[in-house]
Amino acid sequence: MFWRLLWKLLRGSGGRLAVAILSLVSCAMVVSALLNLEFDIEHKLTQEFRMLGANILVSPRNAQINSSSPAELMSESEVSATVSALKDPAVVAAAPFLYIVANAGKTPVVVAGTKLEELSKLEPAWKIEGDWRSSQEAPTSCLVGRNVARQLQLIVGSPLGLTYLNNNAQFTVAGIVDAGGTEDNQVFVGLAEAQSLATLPGKISVAQLSVSGTSNSISQFAARLSTALPAYEPRPIRQITEAEGDLLSRIRLLIVSMVILILVLTALCVLGTMAALAMERRQDVGLMKALGGSIGRIVTLFMTEVGVLGAAGGFVGAALGVELSRWMGQRVFGTAISSRWEIFPLTIVLMVAVALAGALPLRLLGKVKPAVIFRGE
Amino acid sequence: MATLVQVDDLRKEFGNVRALAGVSFSVEAGEWIAIMGPSGSGKTTLINILGGLDMPTSGQAVVDGMDVARLDEAGLTRFRAQKIGFIFQQFHLVPYLTALENVMLAQYFHSTTDEKEARQALERVGLGDRVEHLPGALSGGEQQRVAVARALINHPKLILADEPTGNLDEANEETVIQLFQELHREEHTILMVTHDPAIGNLADRRIEFAHGKLKHILRPTELA
Repeated sequence: MFWRLLWKLLRGSGGRLAVAILSLVSCAMVVSALLNLEFDIEHKLTQEFRMLGANILVSPRNAQINSSSPAELMSESEVSATVSALKDPAVVAAAPFLYIVANAGKTPVVVAGTKLEELSKLEPAWKIEGDWRSSQEAPTSCLVGRNVARQLQLIVGSPLGLTYLNNNAQFTVAGIVDAGGTEDNQVFVGLAEAQSLATLPGKISVAQLSVSGTSNSISQFAARLSTALPAYEPRPIRQITEAEGDLLSRIRLLIVSMVILILVLTALCVLGTMAALAMERRQDVGLMKALGGSIGRIVTLFMTEVGVLGAAGGFVGAALGVELSRWMGQRVFGTAISSRWEIFPLTIVLMVAVALAGALPLRLLGKVKPAVIFRGE
Repeated sequence: MATLVQVDDLRKEFGNVRALAGVSFSVEAGEWIAIMGPSGSGKTTLINILGGLDMPTSGQAVVDGMDVARLDEAGLTRFRAQKIGFIFQQFHLVPYLTALENVMLAQYFHSTTDEKEARQALERVGLGDRVEHLPGALSGGEQQRVAVARALINHPKLILADEPTGNLDEANEETVIQLFQELHREEHTILMVTHDPAIGNLADRRIEFAHGKLKHILRPTELA
């Protein structure tokens, strides 16, 4: 009889309950999407930050970047072998750099010798005019920063002759880099070509690594690298790792605050609906008590009704929330946010709790006095 | 016959209004008592107290050995479920439950439901073909007969009826009164509030109220 009564209650108050269930479904949908986002935000943000370039720099101890003094250089093979030996899947890119200041005609330019295929993974956000791929394949291809190109009046396909001490090398401009930073003043050539030009075979100035993960995990990876390369100094680039951690904390706080706010607002909406429903049901409750219905039994019936509403609203809303989170992921990050199964029961539990919190007026029906109701007061 | 209801010096006040001012009487098991008097004389207040819906200010109202005034909330709930069958002037059926479910609701609050027994109760009041109808689809007389079936379903010790024919037309009133006569023949104990002297004359005794006080206790034969 309990479930029969419950079904009749739900059917009998369909209009009023529709308002409550609509607000519960809406709430569950947004909360589910936000929770999915909250769980996936670290992964997504890490991916976004990898667009900003390297977050670990390996350099000789106490070295100045861009120095090419032989005493302040590192062994390319040693660094590469160590990074490979760590076999960490979090390493997105590891690009060795040899910096020299060569002359293009009479104009001095900073030449960065690097593995161009790693550079493309390290700096995915760079805007490059020309064919980026061909520069990776042909050893005499180079990339030039836009300031260098403007100064030397270079366009894609132009020849570029570089002189370092008594050595010369000829390159073809395969692309013009717009990085928005100091890279716009540099020329990027293959590492082997730069080493040959500088007569520094197997030597590099620095290595830049892009490692995915949290601020802590990046620091831990740098520490492992430091242990494996005692002669060199791997260190996280703090501006990036700290900004990432800080932004993650802020976004998480924002999401949690929004979830709490939405839950409270929905509880208030349910409260308003239930207050109206409670007024309608005073007569029924008076009658039920007159027939010998205990307060516990009557309130349990109403609370179960509200709980069922919450669970149904949570179920439908959580399912819609999966789609909403996918859409949000596409809009914000360009990829769908992966849904987590545990969000589903969590959303349902939250909606049941919100519905029960908003059902306070129905709980107060337990205090109804049948004689007062029957007197019409 | 054993005394089923014993009322001693029963008083009830609502603020400054005195609804019952020291009422005493007793009812034997199997009796049909008509409670009469003008509006505001305390009839419904008496019914409510005897049914455990209201508490007296002082005095005793003992039903089947239980003093209603001494029962706590849980005790009153059990008392209403096990001892009392209510029939109201306004029927008070749950509008979204069928006739059958309205009867089963009383079973549910008493102990366990028995659909077959509930159907039989409705058949007994002549509604065997209306069990699945909602109250809104039933006439006033039919609704009151559902209320009678509901009142009887748990075999209460005492049937309290507050103007059960007050909202019925003549034909339906006749049907309902016939039901009460049947119940009386089956030795149910009935306390019925009524304004209709003709119905009062069908009872074993008439208790007349005025201004919260018991004015007369009469047998119909004494009225002449």
